[in-house]
Amino acid sequence: MATIDLIDLKKNYGNVPAVKGVNLRVADGELIVLVGPSGCGKSTLLRMVAGLETVSEGRIEIGGRDVVKAEPAERDIAMVFQNYALYPHMTVRGNLEYGLKNRGTPRAEIDRRVQEAADILEIGALLDRKPRQLSGGQRQRVAMGRAIVREPAAFLFDEPLSNLDAKLRVQMRVEIRKLQRRLKTTSLYVTHDQLEAMTLADRLVVMNGGLVEQIGTPTEVYDRPATVFVAGFIGSPPMNLIPVSSLSGAPAALPRNTDIIGIRPDALFLDPQGGDAIALAGKVELLEPIGGESHLHVRLDSSGQSVVLSVPGRPDIAEGSAVTLHARLADIHPYNAQTGRRTDETVANL
Amino acid sequence: MVENRPWLSFLTHLVLIAGVVVVVFPVYLAFVASTHGSGDFMRGLVPLLPGPHLVENYGRMLTEGISTAGAPPLWIMLMNSLAIAIIIAVGKIAISLLSAYAIVFFKFPFRMLAFWIIFITLMLPVEVRIIPTFAVVANLGLLNSYVGLTLPLIASATATFLFRQFFLTVPDELMEAARVDGAGPMKFFRDILLPLSRTNIAALFVILFIYGWVQYLWPLLVTTDSRYYTVVMGIKRLAATADAEPLWNLVMASVILAMLPPVLVVIFMQRLFVKGLVDTEK
Repeated sequence: MATIDLIDLKKNYGNVPAVKGVNLRVADGELIVLVGPSGCGKSTLLRMVAGLETVSEGRIEIGGRDVVKAEPAERDIAMVFQNYALYPHMTVRGNLEYGLKNRGTPRAEIDRRVQEAADILEIGALLDRKPRQLSGGQRQRVAMGRAIVREPAAFLFDEPLSNLDAKLRVQMRVEIRKLQRRLKTTSLYVTHDQLEAMTLADRLVVMNGGLVEQIGTPTEVYDRPATVFVAGFIGSPPMNLIPVSSLSGAPAALPRNTDIIGIRPDALFLDPQGGDAIALAGKVELLEPIGGESHLHVRLDSSGQSVVLSVPGRPDIAEGSAVTLHARLADIHPYNAQTGRRTDETVANL
Repeated sequence: MVENRPWLSFLTHLVLIAGVVVVVFPVYLAFVASTHGSGDFMRGLVPLLPGPHLVENYGRMLTEGISTAGAPPLWIMLMNSLAIAIIIAVGKIAISLLSAYAIVFFKFPFRMLAFWIIFITLMLPVEVRIIPTFAVVANLGLLNSYVGLTLPLIASATATFLFRQFFLTVPDELMEAARVDGAGPMKFFRDILLPLSRTNIAALFVILFIYGWVQYLWPLLVTTDSRYYTVVMGIKRLAATADAEPLWNLVMASVILAMLPPVLVVIFMQRLFVKGLVDTEK
């Protein structure tokens, strides 16, 4: 049990900055998900916390102790790797025990912890098998088990589910969440899958280009994306970002300096909604029925930009027909293109 | 591919059997020769069935040897060959495991240069560098010693290169997991890398053992004392007699004995050997 503090953390590869100064406090028992596109520095950040990458500048404190110069083994953390990284020549039991043996844990204690972890993860029957005899999901469990038996101050997860098939991924996601709630171990979790990020996180850290774009609970991040990047990254299909200049008759009610507005696909309607609203005329380019709802791709007449709206059911609209889209002013996210930030509030500085 | 074509099976088997015959017949002939009396092969009619002198011929070679040819009893030469082959195989594997480990898993200045220097030695087998190597060994006073016989053969890059290729396929995460699990560099090497390389080591051992066993030119150069003769070069001395017919029956007995150890090594390590060549445990 411990907190993790990252203070002005930077990482350069030669002259190329990978992480450009990150401040973050992970509270005791909290699960924080780092999410962002490939190359945004999230994995580098995690590996610095693990001690697998050196720190160029800044401090890392685990449980209040500066660990920048500590070896990974001295940091009291356990890591779950993307490809599991199980020792192929050892049995499952050997894999679980290895870290404890290296620390000189007494035999009885090792047995107790391995048994406990095996019970929690329901891998008791697999203890004498080799990793290659296990399925992907089972290997994932063993990798988790190897982290659990250590009873570390913090778990670090590096995209642990990305090698699993879709169904198993959902299942393991739920299990990781339950497990983390039960053990109440401080956790950092890296993923590029926003669904995973939204469902797992106590708080989300959205990263881009080595910087933190926004920190907040999943609903905060979804409801009020702090920057244009977050607006475009979180949510599927992504938010429509429309330059104000392309609107015919921009509504006066937009905050000052607003030159981009964001509208979520589910906040665009084909019918007038009443109240303060904007209207956009366009032609239907493509209709994608995806089951319970349909995605409508509309090319706007004013700018030629393509926007997406999601409508319930399967609307009876022919491709090529002209439509007018309506959005309530309250559903519009106003941004400034220069700063990339919201213009309707001063977001508490990161 | 499952096919049922009787003619094709027949033909392929015929080719295989023909191949086996070509390979085995000389060996059989050597065996037959080693069981006959001394003059039997000189009569113009080569016998194709084993003769009555098997125990006598082998016994004589193992205990006395042919003193006129200046060779010691065969068992000394066999022991020498065995010692040399094992020293070469073990030495090469130990050195190359460590150097490949350093090259692959540690970042140090001139790492690639180090690798290329090692790699370039692949182009210089003993035969090519034999004169300077001989000069060095002679000046170091290593003629007629096991060190002189083995050291120049140990120092080469084949095995280093093979282990490097294998280590490169070991995922980085494995090392990182071990680091998080508290294993230092040597512990990682011993607990994880070595067991993973087991089949590769076995395969290399077989290859290197035979490589050491069949060395001819180098032992011929650096040994003048018959106590250090190896069996492969010893056979040459047995066959080269000045004024008499070579004692072919005894020479062939030596040949058969010289062939046995490599064959045994291959047979007993075959399972591991094949495994090491075809699959990796990952």
